[in-house]
Amino acid sequence: MMNAADTRVPVTVLTGFLGSGKTTLLNRILTENHGKKIAVIENEFGEVGIDNDLVIGAEEEIFEMNNGCICCTVRGDLIRILGHLMKRRDKFDYIMIETTGMADPGPVAQTFYVDDDMQGKLHLDAIVTLVDAKHIWEHIDDSDEAKEQVAFADVILLNKIDLVAPEDLERLEARIKSMNSMAKIYRSRDAVVEMDKILNVGGFNLDRALEIDPKFMEPEYPFEWSGIFNLNSGDYQWLMGEGPDPAMGAALLPLANMGMAAQEATLMDAVLTFSEDEQALEAGDMLRLGKGQHNQLALNENGETVFHITIQEPGYYMLFTEHHPEEFEAYLRGAESVLEPLETREYKPDHEHDEEVTSVGITLSGDLQLEKLNGWLSQLLREQGQDIFRMKGVLSVRGWDERFVFQGVHMLFDGRPDRPWGNELRHNKLIFIGRNLDRAALENGFRACLAA
Amino acid sequence: MMQRKRKSKQAQPALKAKWRANIDDHPIGLAWSPDAKNLAVAGVSGPITLFNGADGSVLHKLPGHALDTMAISWRKDSRLLASVGQDGKARLWDVETGTQSAEMVGGASWVERVAFSPVGDWLVSAAGRKLRLWNSGGELIREYPDANSTITDIKWRYDGRYFAISAYNGVVLYDPVEAEPLRRFEWQGSTLTLEWSPDGKYIATGDQDSTVHFWIAATGQDLRMWGYETKVQELAWSFNSRYLATGGGTQVVIWDCSGVGPENTRPIMLEGHQQLIKHLEFQRRGMLLASGGNDGLFAIWKVGKKKPAKLVDAVFKAPIANLAWSPDDRCIAVTDESGTLSIAAARR
Repeated sequence: MMNAADTRVPVTVLTGFLGSGKTTLLNRILTENHGKKIAVIENEFGEVGIDNDLVIGAEEEIFEMNNGCICCTVRGDLIRILGHLMKRRDKFDYIMIETTGMADPGPVAQTFYVDDDMQGKLHLDAIVTLVDAKHIWEHIDDSDEAKEQVAFADVILLNKIDLVAPEDLERLEARIKSMNSMAKIYRSRDAVVEMDKILNVGGFNLDRALEIDPKFMEPEYPFEWSGIFNLNSGDYQWLMGEGPDPAMGAALLPLANMGMAAQEATLMDAVLTFSEDEQALEAGDMLRLGKGQHNQLALNENGETVFHITIQEPGYYMLFTEHHPEEFEAYLRGAESVLEPLETREYKPDHEHDEEVTSVGITLSGDLQLEKLNGWLSQLLREQGQDIFRMKGVLSVRGWDERFVFQGVHMLFDGRPDRPWGNELRHNKLIFIGRNLDRAALENGFRACLAA
Repeated sequence: MMQRKRKSKQAQPALKAKWRANIDDHPIGLAWSPDAKNLAVAGVSGPITLFNGADGSVLHKLPGHALDTMAISWRKDSRLLASVGQDGKARLWDVETGTQSAEMVGGASWVERVAFSPVGDWLVSAAGRKLRLWNSGGELIREYPDANSTITDIKWRYDGRYFAISAYNGVVLYDPVEAEPLRRFEWQGSTLTLEWSPDGKYIATGDQDSTVHFWIAATGQDLRMWGYETKVQELAWSFNSRYLATGGGTQVVIWDCSGVGPENTRPIMLEGHQQLIKHLEFQRRGMLLASGGNDGLFAIWKVGKKKPAKLVDAVFKAPIANLAWSPDDRCIAVTDESGTLSIAAARR
């Protein structure tokens, strides 16, 4: 719900790569019978009136701005166009800003913080990112823009779901959740989505900062690799060369089928298995098979080490290893030849997620000391503000009856006391979405802000 | 001295309303013809109304630009009015007949700025990064290489020998007979507006990053003034080039440029506005400064060596949109965002 006293016009920023369906969605918004008068700012030239609505072309123009000690980039064209738009007699109920496919949403969002004219008349409602469910895989690993568009979003629309297999969609959604656990994710075909899912979302509304649910702890696995093999009954050998460690944990678990659900089930079994005590094996020993069998493979000091495997039930098996087999030049050999896995998957432990965009959510009970919190946050934003895309928090500050809510974009943030805690248990919730986030350091830093 | 002081107090001008009108639109441009006879008011939705300055009768209602007019400028002989808008055009209007005498292509979809030379036979237009020089009849003389970023303002020096443009990276100085810029005044920031001091010594700018710059035109030296509440879009020089009045907040900040200049001096602060100041205009030959704010307050201040004083004020029902002293300094036109146009004369 929008604050009743807030007469400012809401603005939604629409991002997404070329072909993700932004234009389709915009046309839908303009033609949907919602009774709203909408102005659209998109990255083409000209200005077109459609019924009541208006489409204005913009030329993305980014400039750097010094704002006291904070340096940020803003969209100069938006300040101009929106400033002019707000002078018009024909008032608009809603403004949509479409960014180019390759745009970083940061400057658009920051524009709404640094310009007083904009703040007085407009409020940024949400960043909505369209994701082409089929083609996103081509960008998500190496495109900063794709990652940023996902990271900044309040709402993510997985579009074109009809073009991908259900298990790929699950995989995509899991991947996106690991990057941005704050966003609401919807699935769509042809960008069909209910308007209230994308308009008046309140993504930048402090009253809604508390709706965050930081249960998104990014899964961390005790192994780095798994490979699926289709094995007949018989004898096999697991061979390992010299590696960086003298020993390595491993588990071999049956897999019902190649489907995503079965893989997930076996993955959970593997997590449980790796939590069991290790059973030390030496060269020539038989690798123990199945759930609960956590093997610790000790290597010979020099040369190759061989472990034996006997399969009685033919079928799919998933081998989980603590380190990547490549590090040990390890492989599985059957009676006649070396066996290649049908599918492999890598699991990166948290500290190796350096290049990744992730969400870090922290919940902490107790009261914070305001001075410590200020000191920690300002230092954090000074040092890592460029890499922190979004943050939100609901905090319990010692001496304050009210909850303190805040949210920010890069180095710009606003916060204020909210309603009193009342009977609610006082606690702290904080979420960061960004690049190269160090969960342990953030947790420790935040914990150090607790009042003694 | 005492006598003079008393005398000046008695001479406080009260304002006497001359005429009023309403253009039923947000006024985006307000300009007196140089002969002080006519007043042009452009509405944001397009139409431009030409009023008889003496009585408020409407001479012509020009269609302006189909999609939003952005700016207007008078030719020195008061016979042509130039306008630019979001139809990508600059247009020249014959004031006598109320018809369009020329239509020029600005070079981008929004033509945002236009400025007739106060002396020579030139007109400059800016559309995005496109800067074009025309003769005063609307024939293209020169198209300059694209500016580095969107041009935010164009101002001629008092004698028409040079003009300067501002953009998101400072100011560029041109001589209209040269194809190449004379000088660049570079600033890592977005310059929103500029004003030449009437003696041509300084080019003052207001910037998005809440600074005001004094560029010394002859040397390119830059004096920066920090500490404004918000971006600065309101600049006004006194006719003697001594004072620069600036907005960028709820107080009028006036820099004294006499002696060694404004650097390291304490500015004069005028308090009275409750909300951000949006317009400042000095008289052309006098020391009265008019201010208008988002709070609808319109005020006239006497600025000088003595403590500045507010002489009169009035509250409009909407934020002040524009202010313009008539060329003879005898009256002032004020508009508010609801479309009210009020012409008042200073009464002695």
